[in-house]
Amino acid sequence: MYRYDQFDARFVAGRVAQFSDQIERRISGELSEDQFRPLRLMNGLYLQLHAYMLRVAVPYGTMNSAQLRKLAHIARTYDRGYGHFTTRQNIQFNWPRLDDVPQILSELAEVEMHAIQTSGNCIRNVTTDQFAGAAADEIIDPRPVAEIIRQWSSLHPEFTFLPRKFKIAITGAAHDRAAIKFHDIGLMARRNEAGEIGWTVHVGGGMGRTPMVARKLNSFVPHADLLAYLESILRVYNRYGRRDNKYKARIKILVREEGLASFREQVESEFSEVRGGVLSLPEDELNRIKTYFAPPEFKDSDARFDLAALKVSDPEFARFVVHNTHQHARPGYTSVTISLKPVGGVPGDATDTQMDIVADLVERFSFDELRVSHEQNLVLPHVAIGDVRSVYEALCAAGLGEANVGQITDMIVCPGLDYCALANARSIPVAQEISKRFGSAKRQEEIGDLKIKISGCINACGHHHGGHIGILGVEKRGTELYQITVGGDASENAAIGNILGRGITGEEVPDAIERLVEVYLGARSGADESFLNTLSRLGETPFREALYGND
Amino acid sequence: MQILTANELISGATVYFLADGGWGEDINSARVFSEKNIPEMEQAIERAQASGVLISVESETVRVEGSRVVATRLRERIRARGPTAPRHRRQKPDIHHAVEFTHVSL
Ligand code: SF4
Repeated sequence: MYRYDQFDARFVAGRVAQFSDQIERRISGELSEDQFRPLRLMNGLYLQLHAYMLRVAVPYGTMNSAQLRKLAHIARTYDRGYGHFTTRQNIQFNWPRLDDVPQILSELAEVEMHAIQTSGNCIRNVTTDQFAGAAADEIIDPRPVAEIIRQWSSLHPEFTFLPRKFKIAITGAAHDRAAIKFHDIGLMARRNEAGEIGWTVHVGGGMGRTPMVARKLNSFVPHADLLAYLESILRVYNRYGRRDNKYKARIKILVREEGLASFREQVESEFSEVRGGVLSLPEDELNRIKTYFAPPEFKDSDARFDLAALKVSDPEFARFVVHNTHQHARPGYTSVTISLKPVGGVPGDATDTQMDIVADLVERFSFDELRVSHEQNLVLPHVAIGDVRSVYEALCAAGLGEANVGQITDMIVCPGLDYCALANARSIPVAQEISKRFGSAKRQEEIGDLKIKISGCINACGHHHGGHIGILGVEKRGTELYQITVGGDASENAAIGNILGRGITGEEVPDAIERLVEVYLGARSGADESFLNTLSRLGETPFREALYGND
Repeated sequence: MQILTANELISGATVYFLADGGWGEDINSARVFSEKNIPEMEQAIERAQASGVLISVESETVRVEGSRVVATRLRERIRARGPTAPRHRRQKPDIHHAVEFTHVSL
């Protein structure tokens, strides 16, 4: 993985010193809250309902064991013994004290981590496929390009005060596991007719109150031109984005109001100016960055899982293999997803002890590499197939052995009204009840893959618009209500779910989900017909009727 | 009826303007302002903001049930008790700091 050079190290250390000084001046009264607030937000420090929250960046969701141990240490020493992994592949601490933040940040800097640009109207952490550099279906490892984008976008002088926050996602595989079409810019690797690899650029996607699927802006931008092309998009957005209205300030609104063709024309005109200039990416620089992401020293192996035998001899482990492993590009290896969705637990949370245990596994079994997925799980990207049983046992002992990846209890869930100052309704208790209702392995196997996503308000941090079943918390006369959507999809076939009807109470949600699932199970042509396919064949009516009758 | 609430600067903890003129963590001891006390409440907000040790100072609608003060909004009831799932204890206000701000003359 990428290692800081002297410039990076100096820059982060400088920022820690600067922000520590600002905190000191805030505590002494020299700075007012009005002066301090934008400064703390630039350093990822929010104020939530009960305390501050510190959001630490995990660049493109990649970490090593030392970094994870440091996060565990911070959780234990300065927080309440846990951290919360987010859909931006970052981690949040919910209870830091302001006067501990300088120490937390300087300890993070020791392991090349920070909280810069995890808030504010700037380019946020670039996210990617959690199986990057490991997946069998990958055209190219997107991490070197993600790293270059990180470097380009960190404190970019032109883009520090954009009209609104800006999110970029990148994937090197044709199957999108990074929800790129719900990002301001979504990049997907592609091979052109000449066999060269470049990037299809999508623009204007997003969740929030005006959800939109990104549109294709350019079907092939070569590596060398990518930064110049991104810069051109950002320049057009920075110039014309709606600064007058927070709700219309994202690039998706600009693209919609301008029209894709006109927006493209402006980007192309900007691109013709900057192309071939300082932003061209020389092949040798790309190669230099690539060396940081060189594949580990895999051993030759033809080990495979004998699933048929395992299902008889060790059915629980077989279930783990089916759901929590992902095909690796290298024979004899697999990627193991560690579910942070224990039945009835808090989605995305990991305790300090669990983080330490996972760090040991990262070191022993995955060439010191860990990933955070946007679906709020952790991934050991390179595990020898012969080691998976040992990993599984260690995970079970740590309460992390849930074999539910991709299933109905593997929900994306935002913090909601239990923590978030912007929330309308709670998300976590609703998720816990759904998880308990559908928690049995047998029930989950029967249902098959199904994605539920829950947000506590229309900001949609829980990606409910992209859930096969989405749940949105709203508030009506002091009561929490939940709107149910169906048909969302965050894959390469991105789609926004439709609301089925009026909001229902939290207590009614598990039954409602049960009824939707029953419609699906009763109507699907076979176990291999997905929820989304059944829905598109039947239309929404039977699902709506299942919730509301014929009214 | 309304109360005043804020977050204490160092810990970020939820605190309330109390009947004795200080700030503390128990909503049931919060000073309850009626319509006719609104100017007094506004003065208290100004002073709290000027103290520099309280942030996000807000008024909240409540009802009084015997010795209990109950916020109308669920959000405020959660702030008063801490996260519901899993049930977490609330953040403790910074004592050293709290002593200072309870002595801010309000
Ligand atoms: S969706 Fe709303 S409630 Fe949930 S974390 Fe985002 S802003 Fe908070």
